[in-house]
Amino acid sequence: MNVVKAPPVSCAGFSLALGDRPLVQKLDFAPAHGSSSVVIGQTGVGKSVFLKTIAGVLPARTFRLGGSLQVHGIDAYVNGRKTGLEAWSRIMRRGLVFVPAESAQAMNPALTLDHNLKLLAPESRAAIERRLTTYFGLEFGAFARLYPDEVSGGELQRITLMILLSRQGDLVLLDEPTVNLDRQLRKRFIDFLNEEILPDQEKTVLMASHDLDFIQALKLDHAWALENARLAPLEELPRATGFEKRTAKKSGEPGLVIEHLSQRFFKRGIFGERTFAAFTGLSITFDRSTIYGITGPSGCGKSSMIKAILRLLDGTKGSIVLDGEDLVRMKPRERGTDPSAFLPFRRKMAVVQQDSRFAFFPDQRIRDSLKHIARAQNGRGTLDPEEVQRQLTKVGLASAHLDVHPRSLSSGEMKRMDIARALAAKPEVLLLDEPFAHIDFETRTQVMRAISDYMAESAAILIVVTHEDFDLRYFVERSHDFPELVGKVQGR
Amino acid sequence: MRKLSSILKAVCVLALASPLALAWAPPSWLPGVLAPSFEAALQASFRQLSVTLAATLAVTTLLTVALGYLSVLSMRFGRTGASILNSVESVPSILVALFCYAPVSGYLARHASGASQTVSLAVFILAAALTALPEAVRSVAIPLGDLYHRKYSLSFRSYGFTKRRILAVLMGSRGMRNTLKRVAAAVVLKTLVLDCSFGFIIQLGFGSYGTPAHASPGALIAAHRDALFDGGTPILFWLPSLLLVLISLSFLLTLGDRKEVAA
Repeated sequence: MNVVKAPPVSCAGFSLALGDRPLVQKLDFAPAHGSSSVVIGQTGVGKSVFLKTIAGVLPARTFRLGGSLQVHGIDAYVNGRKTGLEAWSRIMRRGLVFVPAESAQAMNPALTLDHNLKLLAPESRAAIERRLTTYFGLEFGAFARLYPDEVSGGELQRITLMILLSRQGDLVLLDEPTVNLDRQLRKRFIDFLNEEILPDQEKTVLMASHDLDFIQALKLDHAWALENARLAPLEELPRATGFEKRTAKKSGEPGLVIEHLSQRFFKRGIFGERTFAAFTGLSITFDRSTIYGITGPSGCGKSSMIKAILRLLDGTKGSIVLDGEDLVRMKPRERGTDPSAFLPFRRKMAVVQQDSRFAFFPDQRIRDSLKHIARAQNGRGTLDPEEVQRQLTKVGLASAHLDVHPRSLSSGEMKRMDIARALAAKPEVLLLDEPFAHIDFETRTQVMRAISDYMAESAAILIVVTHEDFDLRYFVERSHDFPELVGKVQGR
Repeated sequence: MRKLSSILKAVCVLALASPLALAWAPPSWLPGVLAPSFEAALQASFRQLSVTLAATLAVTTLLTVALGYLSVLSMRFGRTGASILNSVESVPSILVALFCYAPVSGYLARHASGASQTVSLAVFILAAALTALPEAVRSVAIPLGDLYHRKYSLSFRSYGFTKRRILAVLMGSRGMRNTLKRVAAAVVLKTLVLDCSFGFIIQLGFGSYGTPAHASPGALIAAHRDALFDGGTPILFWLPSLLLVLISLSFLLTLGDRKEVAA
């Protein structure tokens, strides 16, 4: 006898708001059991917040809820209030798997990876080991005794993804699962989802993503668009399109010349400190007015190269020449302050780091943070409020976004805010580390246009570390694979 | 609703910790149902306890903030400091307290006046601070180092801020303020346990109320342990014990108060 199972998620007049800003309004939504759906939408519309609400991990202080939501037929929210421990314990026992965007955060840093596995998915060890080997080329046994901070970010993300996705549960919630995966891993992850997760008729998959290339490669049943606080079904997925790039301003000035650069790190072990090389033998010239793309697997040293150029690391050998001066010789060590001779070069460089949530003071309005930053950068590169406003408009943000705390903005909005800040500083060297992660494709072209407009006005040196095909296709002019560039990557 | 529960929790914590405040009330405020000498000793011991807790809290918090900040600022200082504090931590706290009292025991025995009380308090604060510092400094240095190295250093150093300034700003952030609040609660809880157990042992060993001029509820409990036997008045034993449990509970409530952080 066929038993019709209750929808794994069922919303009735469900609403969700961040302060006065509605994210979801009066939503009636009930994906069928065993189906797979994706929610797409522009950055900051509330896709991730919606998934976190279903997973029960939303900070209730910050958001206002209304209406009702059931998970596995059990009341999770009634009249906008989260139900008690007993109801949520039953939901968890029925099986709810939530994979956050920063999936590695699911790991307990005080436990080894083996203990984390025992805690999160004790019944699925064999499947996890097989899947890690088959799809990600990792032997779990080699990592089992290590702590999360002893493996590279990419390895940790792969292990965490497989542990979380191998947990037993009928409802799987995936929040931007490809954000930090490099191109090769993304392809393997697509194979994994298509072969092992999506065909499983016992699992209902609900995913939030802005990565159109990724979504199009998946065998999904339904697609929904979250726009203006309404969730509407999509007949077909939108196509990613590029944009017409302005010609960059030309300059005869030399660019950034890197020769025989190597970066070593110190690691503490049982027998004292030992060093390992993030990369060695990097020699490359970054000309002005060209958009350089640096690709490569996670953990290969791309972000370390950016930090080395910024002179924020010890253990750098070789030379980085800008405007005829060797930055390594000028500042061989990082001691938390810059020698006065280096300060003019500090003002010439700007970076957008991978996680832009940490680009502004945590407890200050962004406008106040910018004032402090401007004061720290006095002289050339001072942040002119009008210039900040101009760049904000270009990246699709309003001045109202300056009057909030960083925690009130979505990851994508923070990213755009950080890019606007970097462009407003008018740097000669602009270093962007995964600048478009968390930004949907439509907004991404707008941000790319803002950056290329800057390149048309200023003959800057632009280096972009990226994993995404879209960026390489539409934005980057000259791309380099980092492992090929350095020849040989040491360490693990 | 959440605000109301926060207010209720704060009221609850204050009510539980109120014996420390009541110890400073005029003797005429006390109900007078127990022997006047016991009531006076009870009040004196909790008064002494509140002074010890406040002074230890002030000294330890100040040292914790300074050492936590310096540990992250200078890696060499952090490693050396951690080694010293780890070795202190490996010694049981009661032995640390006894060790601190040893050099001044002669002075304390000869003086029963205010001078002896001041020296006794100072020595106890030193001992309590020494035993509480390792965990307190670690509780501050680890999250502060994590905030700096893993999160904020790249952007903020690239803006030209010095490490010193970034750490100062992070130390004042909401997350670190909550950490400091929990550290403070842990320090007073640890001090309370040390003060009472130390007073208890000294009373058992020397038969007076603690060390010279160092009255402690623990010593009072030890002095009235006979009250539990036939013919005794059990309330003389249980009243100070119950008050200590209530005060400890208020610190535990503060310790468990983890603020929700927005995603």
